Amino acid sequence: MSKAPPLVVDVQDLTIRFGSFVAVNRISFSVKQGEIFGFLGANGAGKTTTIRMLCGLLIPNEGEAYISGISIHQDVQAIKTKVGYMSQHFTLYNDLTVAENLAFAADLRKLEETALEKRKKELFQFVDFTYPEKILVKNLPGGVKQQISLATAILHDPDIIFLDEPTAGVAPLVRAKFWKLINKLARAGKTVFVTTHYLDEAEQCDRIALMRDGEIIALDTPKKLKQKTFPEPLLEIEPPLGASRSWMDKLKVDPKIAVIQAYGRRYHVLVKNGKEWKKISRKLPRDYLLRKIQPSLEDVFIRQVEGDPA
Amino acid sequence: MNQTIRGFIKKEFIQVFRDKRMLVLLFIAPIIQLTLFGYAISNEVRNIRLAVQFQPGDSMARHIEERALASGWFVPATGEGDPFVLVQSGRAEVVLVAPPKGLTTALRSGGGEIQVLLDATNMIRARGIEQYLQAIIWEVLAGEFPQQDLKPVLNINTRVLYNPAMKTSYFLVPGVMVVLMCLLTVIMTSMSIVREREIGTFETLVTAPVRNWEILLGKTLPFVILALVQVTLILIAAVLIFGLPMQSPLWKFYLAAFMFICTTVAIGTMISTMSRTQQQAMMGSFLFMFPGILLSGMMFPLENMPKAIMGIAYLNPLKYFLTLLRNILLKGGDDWVFWSNLGALALLAVVAMAFSFNRFKQTLN
Repeated sequence: MSKAPPLVVDVQDLTIRFGSFVAVNRISFSVKQGEIFGFLGANGAGKTTTIRMLCGLLIPNEGEAYISGISIHQDVQAIKTKVGYMSQHFTLYNDLTVAENLAFAADLRKLEETALEKRKKELFQFVDFTYPEKILVKNLPGGVKQQISLATAILHDPDIIFLDEPTAGVAPLVRAKFWKLINKLARAGKTVFVTTHYLDEAEQCDRIALMRDGEIIALDTPKKLKQKTFPEPLLEIEPPLGASRSWMDKLKVDPKIAVIQAYGRRYHVLVKNGKEWKKISRKLPRDYLLRKIQPSLEDVFIRQVEGDPA
Repeated sequence: MNQTIRGFIKKEFIQVFRDKRMLVLLFIAPIIQLTLFGYAISNEVRNIRLAVQFQPGDSMARHIEERALASGWFVPATGEGDPFVLVQSGRAEVVLVAPPKGLTTALRSGGGEIQVLLDATNMIRARGIEQYLQAIIWEVLAGEFPQQDLKPVLNINTRVLYNPAMKTSYFLVPGVMVVLMCLLTVIMTSMSIVREREIGTFETLVTAPVRNWEILLGKTLPFVILALVQVTLILIAAVLIFGLPMQSPLWKFYLAAFMFICTTVAIGTMISTMSRTQQQAMMGSFLFMFPGILLSGMMFPLENMPKAIMGIAYLNPLKYFLTLLRNILLKGGDDWVFWSNLGALALLAVVAMAFSFNRFKQTLN
């Protein structure tokens, strides 16, 4: 019997207010060691604020959070040695070289020089950094800058790594490369806590928390989230090219239909009674294609976050 | 030394020395400014354009003109003609008009009037010209009529101490040194801390397990060191270019400079804890420096100011450093002046440091 991995992040009723604005409202969740935990939500939903509280950069008004068993109200300095934080802002010094940036980060954390040299080699290999380390950071391409940001964040080999939109504004190929690094970290037993806007990235998380207006409105594995959000089969209708909207408008008022959502030229349709989905096809002309599909996280996100049509 | 603070010093130095413009601002500009201000700003009135109008053969009037030109203060005005037109056109700043019958004749017959037309658009300059002319005329008269008692009854024998040549530069250079040191330390410190916030690197600092005092000391110590280098350069320039006598031992100079730098760096830190952007830090620095300079006694004697304003001046570190510098450089004065002013600076430094330490937060908003 395998032992369940320990909880490394344990959050209970965490709340923070800025003036009268409640930025994060009584959220509770826990993260196991080695998990990739995704935070999904619109801008201003409270993702960054939550991460900052967990790193000890903001003090919550209420609630409790334990990082590796240490309360954030108790010993912020100890937590800062356990976690690595990569901000959504670029936080390297552009006018310093890669080596100088890392050396300063090491000095901040009082890492010895020999330890730094060893760790630097590991990290350069890990992020696949092939430039000379004496290059000024400002002369690096955007994707490489992100790699060095990550290397700086995990220089002290933390157990828990918070990544706040690490791939925002980065080319798709570089994003994929960065996610390989995240997976590598998780395989090495690190807990990765990541926020993102990209739903394809969220798909790669072990579990996802959906945030809206400072609250967690859904939390599960991507697969279970889809099942829970769409207990009924999800249908996709593809009208023929140049078809008028009249058929679809008719469907919209059909009592059997719960939701119709346009996806480009296609429509995602949810019926009220799952068994009746075949009946819908009889109502459409023959050149309309109808098929049962797997909901994507985007469907989940739209249903959960952007309104509750049911 | 603490590794974090050592890291800060290394990092700040790399950043400063990599930035060519910063280097010029730090080490070249102060010397140029010192030289410029020291030479250019002067209360001495020179190159006065003088015209003297008299009848041919009026030896007395001619003597006055010759004496005036020989003094070095005056130069001959160009052109002749109506004295009013000369002043109006700016060709002359002052015109002496001898009586129609001649000054020599008038004086022989018991007294006469000499007319002086003086351009007083610059009042300070006009006052200086008047004084010079009067002195020259007295001298000439005394030479011509030694038997007559033209001089006042009481002869004032003035001995000017500490600045015997009454050089304006002696008076101004310490002031310029104070202003330069203040400018560099307050602005550099305040902007440097706010810049970390603005470019986002502040997050790097606070996500590491560092103490408040480590960040504050780490961000300020490099500027204290830089400022000490600067003050050395400025001192060398002041002694070499302006020949300031440097009457006290060097350690007094450095102790005073160190204390002043600590105070201004602490004030810079204080400003940075109240600013969100570099512009605000800049404005905040100037908000401190303008009254600081005006109420330092650099140009305008504090003793002339209303009581309430003198009260504010007691909070002004520039006042204390200026008093210290004038004492150290020109006077070599007594211990009480040195230690009391140094103590006042130390007190201000401690207050400013305590304030910044209290306000400094490692949290983000």
